[in-house]
Amino acid sequence: MNIAVLIKMVPDTESKLEIVNGKLEESNFKYMVNPYDEFAVEQAVQFKEAVGGKVTLVSLFTDNNTIDTDLRKMIAIGADEVIVLRSKDYRGDKPSTNAEILAKKVKELNADLVLCGVQGIDYYQAATGPMLAQKLDIPNISGVTKLELNDNLITAHRQMEGGIQVIESQMPILISCQKDMTKVRFPALKDIMMSKRKPFENQTVDYEEEADIKQIECTLPPARGGGMIIEGETPEEKVDKLINILKMEAKVL
Amino acid sequence: MEPFHTYYGIEWYWFLLVWTIFALGLHIYQVGFIVRLIKLGKEDHRFDSWKQRFKEFLTDWLGQRKVIEDKFAGYAHALIFWGFLMLITDVIDLGTGGLFEDLLTIIMLDGIWNLIVDIGYAMAGIGVLFALYRRLVIRPEKLKNTSIEGSLILLAILGIIITAFIIEAGNMIGDENKLNQWEPIGVLFAKQMNGISTSNLSTIIDLSYWIHMILIGGFLIEIPQTKHSHLIGTVPNVMFQDHNPMGTMLPMQVDENNMAVKSDDLDFDNLTLGVNKFTDFTWRQLSDGWACTECARCQDVCPAYSSGKTLNPMQIIMDLKNYGSEHGSLLLTGKNPDETIVERFNPEAIWACTTCYACVNACPVHIEHVPKLTDTRRHLVMEATEFPEELQNLFNNLERNSNPWGLGAHTRADWTEGLDIKIGEPAEYLFYVGCAGSFDERNKSVSRATAILLKEAGVDFSILGEMETCNGDPARRAGNEFLFQMMAEMNVDNINSLGTLKVITACPHCFHTIGKEYEKYGGKYEVYHHSQILNKLRKEKKLNINDFEHKVTFHDPCYLGRIGGETEAPREALGGNIIEMERHGKNSFCCGGGGARVWMEEDADKRVNEIRAREASETGAECIAVGCPFCMTMMSDGLKTIGDEKPVKDISEILLENLEVKT
Repeated sequence: MNIAVLIKMVPDTESKLEIVNGKLEESNFKYMVNPYDEFAVEQAVQFKEAVGGKVTLVSLFTDNNTIDTDLRKMIAIGADEVIVLRSKDYRGDKPSTNAEILAKKVKELNADLVLCGVQGIDYYQAATGPMLAQKLDIPNISGVTKLELNDNLITAHRQMEGGIQVIESQMPILISCQKDMTKVRFPALKDIMMSKRKPFENQTVDYEEEADIKQIECTLPPARGGGMIIEGETPEEKVDKLINILKMEAKVL
Repeated sequence: MEPFHTYYGIEWYWFLLVWTIFALGLHIYQVGFIVRLIKLGKEDHRFDSWKQRFKEFLTDWLGQRKVIEDKFAGYAHALIFWGFLMLITDVIDLGTGGLFEDLLTIIMLDGIWNLIVDIGYAMAGIGVLFALYRRLVIRPEKLKNTSIEGSLILLAILGIIITAFIIEAGNMIGDENKLNQWEPIGVLFAKQMNGISTSNLSTIIDLSYWIHMILIGGFLIEIPQTKHSHLIGTVPNVMFQDHNPMGTMLPMQVDENNMAVKSDDLDFDNLTLGVNKFTDFTWRQLSDGWACTECARCQDVCPAYSSGKTLNPMQIIMDLKNYGSEHGSLLLTGKNPDETIVERFNPEAIWACTTCYACVNACPVHIEHVPKLTDTRRHLVMEATEFPEELQNLFNNLERNSNPWGLGAHTRADWTEGLDIKIGEPAEYLFYVGCAGSFDERNKSVSRATAILLKEAGVDFSILGEMETCNGDPARRAGNEFLFQMMAEMNVDNINSLGTLKVITACPHCFHTIGKEYEKYGGKYEVYHHSQILNKLRKEKKLNINDFEHKVTFHDPCYLGRIGGETEAPREALGGNIIEMERHGKNSFCCGGGGARVWMEEDADKRVNEIRAREASETGAECIAVGCPFCMTMMSDGLKTIGDEKPVKDISEILLENLEVKT
């Protein structure tokens, strides 16, 4: 079975957020594999181990950052090959454009199954996956929490408010993976080392913007004010003080 | 009257010869088996500094230096040991029917020899009686569940001694009474035996002689099979004790100069990462198994064992020996049994170790327990990837943001706000803050106190700021040696590029790792714990500090005191009257946070820090002084759990509170 897994490189959650001239300062960002995509890689590798086949990782990213170490780890988990499409104009918040570029590459791979994370933790748009399915003209199941494979039949579970939805579909299909779909393994050191011997390809692509969304402004959330510890001898005294503050200062009572 | 005559018409020596060949043969065969097993281990080059090794052998083996640290059992053992060394030649004499003594008579040394042997038997006898008293009457807790073997062997030794005296006495009485004054104890026996009829006397002496010889032969057969293998095993163990500073670990691969091979050049195709098989250990690690005397001193001091966890350091050593004995024949054919060493040790036990080295410190025969656990951890992490789930976060956080909490690396120097501290500039000292001091709210105040005091004293120092990363100790002690090496290489590059070679740190784990482990990775620094520098500044009157008024007890961090060898500076720096806990200095008891344990889950009913918090609390001190960020966390939590509200403060904080205000 031929499985393609889409990987988005996203800024590390602990990156320093600064806005300079109305724009997010990105030059100091460190990047990591989008955590949702790790579930996709693990699931793909599990299918490969069960029925055989090949797992190809496809990523679209800027041309000026080194992301080898993180992607190599995904190979160490069990993927076979990495293709990174590079463009200096790449932006993480252009789902339509990104889906178009990715679609071209994924078509070439003739994948039976396309897996990706439900959303990128950079902009949380959850859009590229479904858009890509549309462009590939294949069905899509979003936010899958459990995935099973029986010959050519895919059974997907989706967590809904108050219940679980079970969906069946033939392949090829695109599945976007929700948190905790499976437990991502920790690669053994030898596998990380061996990953250096597997194909890792960087390809430059043109970034032709589709009809896509445009960011106008971005701001940081307001800084949180400090907390307050209410001192007092007895719980009763503290509660009295609290009520007083809620009434007089916070004016919520 | 002598036992050297014919029995049933056959000369006595034929009986003895058959028995000797049998007993000695079995002994040699079994010892050979053990030696072949130990030689299966990997290389460990300890055949150097012979002068030092010989000296250590004299003090530790002959002098019983560490054995007698236990005042009762230790001296009892030493008496038996020294006694046997003095009497051992008597076995040859009795085996040759007195020929040995005849030889000595020619050179006129028979008298003094007789005295030495006599005293030897007496010393061993007293030692055995003490040991029997301990085992049968005192019965310390740790001996309650041990087999009866120990007592039986002691009784057998007592038998050897008493029969020897009877034989001695027999020499003096009989046809003509000639009391040999060189054998005072023998004379006492002879006087008691006077009056027994000649025929009875002859039977008693014959019987004693053969019991004596049978017991010695039996002892020879028994030695390799039981804990008495320590009679042989301790010789290489003491002779080839570790000459590296305590707590230092071995790199994955070293070059011809004993330096770590760079992480990019590691030969992963041929490297065995950690230990899973018997033969993955070094020969010296294996010899520990047969050197163990099962004295349980390691068990007594182990924080994991004391808090009810699966780990017992003595069991680890016995596991190793039993595994070798049980699977020995198979191992010697080059095959491995299905059961691995990791399974025998039990992963739960492997992960319980705090790497506090109390066991290694307590062991009288230089057994190295901790490396066995950290080596198997290496296997579990790097090869098998089977480890406590919490550690995956730790590793990821260290990799991504170079600190255990995974907080933004760019916020590392935020604690300096308002202090005007040099960052990333060369200075006389580098203040290596460490992760806890940079990111943990409570410990940030320790960094601030230290920095303020250093500035007050006019010390020229800078910090690395964002360039600093964790020293790698948590990764390393948790088995992720590769991650440690990456961090060590990065830190060495950064510190070397700054060019400051004198380092101050408030974290004993940084103190140990940067000071004692980085050399193999290309970084040779003079590293000081902040208490050492603060003590120096106080003595030089560069810091005017009043002695504290409250009652303070000091909890020695393992990696500063026992492992780091520094127990004085923190006390001197603090000044004032310190109320000591019973276990302090090098015998301090771990807070439970070492060996990356602070990042792992701990069952609520098995917490090490509660034990230590109780000990601190019971001193009646009003404040608990610490010198390590992890002790700070563990002791604070421990005190909270036992409902004690005493504050826990770092040395630097106490000093800052008592700093004389300039007028």
